[in-house]
Amino acid sequence: MKTQHALNTFVEETGGWVASQLEACTRCGICAEACHFYEATGNPEFAPVWKVELLRRTYEQRFTAGGKLKLALGIDRRITDDDITHWSKIVYEACTMCNKCAMVCPMGIQLGPIIHGVRTAMSNAGAVPEDLMAAVNKQVQEGSPLGATQAVWEQRIEWIADEWEVELPKDQKGAETLVVFTSIEIMKFPDNIAAIARILHKAGEKWTISSKGREVVNFGFYEGSTERTVLFMKRLFDAAQELGVKRIMVTECGHAYDALRWTAANMMDVPAGLEIVHIAGMLGEYVRSGRIKLKRGAFDDGVITFHDACKIQRRGSHIKEPREVLNILAPNSFKEMSPNKEQSICCGGGGGVIAIKEADPIRYAVFGLKMKQLQDIGATTVTMTCSNCRLQFTDSVQHFGLDVKVRGLSQMVAEALE
Amino acid sequence: MNWKDTLEFARGPFFQVALIVFVGGMAYRLMRVLLLGWSRDRVPSKGSKLGGVVIAYLKGIIIWPFVPWVKNTFSKKPVMYLAGGLFHLGLFVIIFFGTPHMLVWKSLLGLGWSTLPTPIVDWLAAVTLVALATLLINRLVDPVLKLITGPAEVLNWLFVFLPMLTGYTMTHHLLNPYEMIFSLHVLAVDILLIWIPFSRISHFIFYFFSKTIHGAQFGKRAVTP
Repeated sequence: MKTQHALNTFVEETGGWVASQLEACTRCGICAEACHFYEATGNPEFAPVWKVELLRRTYEQRFTAGGKLKLALGIDRRITDDDITHWSKIVYEACTMCNKCAMVCPMGIQLGPIIHGVRTAMSNAGAVPEDLMAAVNKQVQEGSPLGATQAVWEQRIEWIADEWEVELPKDQKGAETLVVFTSIEIMKFPDNIAAIARILHKAGEKWTISSKGREVVNFGFYEGSTERTVLFMKRLFDAAQELGVKRIMVTECGHAYDALRWTAANMMDVPAGLEIVHIAGMLGEYVRSGRIKLKRGAFDDGVITFHDACKIQRRGSHIKEPREVLNILAPNSFKEMSPNKEQSICCGGGGGVIAIKEADPIRYAVFGLKMKQLQDIGATTVTMTCSNCRLQFTDSVQHFGLDVKVRGLSQMVAEALE
Repeated sequence: MNWKDTLEFARGPFFQVALIVFVGGMAYRLMRVLLLGWSRDRVPSKGSKLGGVVIAYLKGIIIWPFVPWVKNTFSKKPVMYLAGGLFHLGLFVIIFFGTPHMLVWKSLLGLGWSTLPTPIVDWLAAVTLVALATLLINRLVDPVLKLITGPAEVLNWLFVFLPMLTGYTMTHHLLNPYEMIFSLHVLAVDILLIWIPFSRISHFIFYFFSKTIHGAQFGKRAVTP
């Protein structure tokens, strides 16, 4: 029964966009070399090409003469419940949908988005890992997967404003920018919220937060559920429309930006004229236009490096801005890891992986690659523009007992404001 | 039926049939994908999709396969990258710039072009054969490739390898009589042509879909594809 739901999803989502890319695959296996999960564990089942295996088989069996023939001859077999259970683990626990594989695929196949489609089928089949599903349900019911209920959120916001002595304008009509924080920041990195507030005030931004659209994180997008992805985004769009803002600013969150900026318009009606921006891009813009001024060399100490988040840099476009900022903050100490920018290696915690307890061993194994990158350049501080990456870094640095400081870029910018 | 008749059959009616299957099969596959429906991308672009597509092709065709340091992943599997790149280059040169093949094209299309000196083509043919052998060994030992290799993948290899092998044998007169090896070469090509629409060798068409999508997706985001 549940398998049928998955198959129906596969069939529904197989338009020319997906089919032409499945047809282009030569099964050369090069994508495996790009996958940090395969690299770190050596498990061939983590090869991106294998992650889309069920989709490919369904496509061939349903749409192609060859596939039907293979099925009739018994060379291929129908997809079973066991297959769904088996692949559920592979696509949720060993993939952050970072799309690095698309960078090395000789055909340029967009494996990240296609694997997202496989997750959608898994979600419709009810084959989502328990931990992740629990978090999704929590976001449906409480408005946040991390326990930032309305009451907790109000309390934390008030506390942050008090503790760091910053103004956090709430539900202000007439504001131009609706800033939506992640509950990771609310619950674990409150200093980031204070930092962003300082920067926005300094830049003279007319901004507000909203008690209705208070959670930018979108666990429905991790799950791959179209219905819940849309539900969570709609909360933000509704809040934005009610406040009459011109733009939504996503704070240090990667997949939310991917969902809102690069996916929403293809899934639902986005309010006309509403712009979606990311703090990583805005930092660069504020600096370029002189809206904020930073102390040159404020962090010139040790070796400081920048971690590119898959959804904000490679898939989000904000590759240049953080570097422009870092070249001011630490012109001598800033050093790139290798590979970097659009070729960077993902942290291993994205795509909801960090929310699945069972995935911890592979998540740490993947961080091993990142650790090696850090050690190769002797990094003493690593900074980033994604709270999910930062969560993975903070947790893993502790796990491995690494002597590296993990910081959000906004935080550093706020400290260097002139 | 002697070898002479076989050759006439392989170059004549059988080749015609193979061509029809090849062209018809590929047209069918192309139409099937095109007719599946394409949803419009409503996401506002930041960069130029067209620009991304152009860069994607430049990188894909000119830089990527032959300039080792462009991709970090190259360092992990140099043999596979080199073998893959050289095999495609060799195949392309032989099919389009080998004199006998150009003459086949001329008879089909009615126009010819200048070709490369035989020693160069011959040397590339040898390289291609070695590359193909390397790729097969790699496919049989690599854990990921073992997982994704079925009978179809082995047949793909075999049906590309046979025309190469018979062609090389023929030009070097390693087997006699000439009609026999020539027949085998043309038969192998016929079989390859018939096989292509049923296989993933058809990627030479779908490459242009996925590569365009790749370029457009990255161009849209103003990120280097």
